[in-house]
Amino acid sequence: MVACGALTVAPGSGVYTPQDLAHKVVGLDYGNGTAYAGLQMLEGAMPREAITTCAASANAAERFAALMRGEFEATVLQEPYITVAVKAGCRLVSTTFFYGTWVADPDVDSARQAAFLRAITRAVDRINQNKREYVRYFLRDWAGRPEVDALMPEDFDLGRIQVKRPGPIPEADARLAWEWMASWGILEGSFDPASQLDNRVAQRVAEEELSAA
Amino acid sequence: MPDPTATLTIESISAFNGLDVLVARDEGLFAVEGLEVVIARPRSGERRLSAAEDRGTLVQPASNQGQLLDRHAADLFQG
Repeated sequence: MVACGALTVAPGSGVYTPQDLAHKVVGLDYGNGTAYAGLQMLEGAMPREAITTCAASANAAERFAALMRGEFEATVLQEPYITVAVKAGCRLVSTTFFYGTWVADPDVDSARQAAFLRAITRAVDRINQNKREYVRYFLRDWAGRPEVDALMPEDFDLGRIQVKRPGPIPEADARLAWEWMASWGILEGSFDPASQLDNRVAQRVAEEELSAA
Repeated sequence: MPDPTATLTIESISAFNGLDVLVARDEGLFAVEGLEVVIARPRSGERRLSAAEDRGTLVQPASNQGQLLDRHAADLFQG
């Protein structure tokens, strides 16, 4: 799965670019992919010492509400709250995409892993054939929230909904991610692909799917 | 093909990070592979953190991703 994170400011904010957020407080849901995506968007725009963050809720609805109350200058949202925010007049000052990665217990056997990945591959193909049809899942997740219930599938920018067939994680990418997190003090120790990365099942399934296509 | 009764328990997901898994479950694609996928619910104390005092810091986040796997209540989580 490819997740989209959008660095978002409230209506009326004087912030128009990520650079404008230097020394301004950005609410991040520490420990989650959206927070790391936020750091990377900010890091590309300013020196690290200018990045100023605070802990925000892991719940996107609560982060959006806190943004609208002015508790911080910006936050990172994901769908459907990106669409909610845009509809409310918020401005997206940067958007990025990042992979979600499945972490398996060592006891999970390769047969179950492979079955899981094959099924996801089929699902990805179906979603890519008709993304608009599957937008309803984003609405379903947050049903009962008035700001989400007010959305129509047509409100969504399909460019922000991306899915990709599962495949092996390139070792260089995993190393870069590890070293980047270690540079922030979030991880300790050095990257060890032998113990931290096992691509065998994903590689095999990806090759089988490619040859079957 | 796994054992016909094979089950895989995964940690909670939502559309933004697991649309493909939700579609695979709802459209019977796991069943075609002989796999039952169960989405585990966190215990009440393991719900998504929202209280300010529970959020941790950038360096020591209080994220609950992986909690169920740590106590062997899930086989997979998405990090």
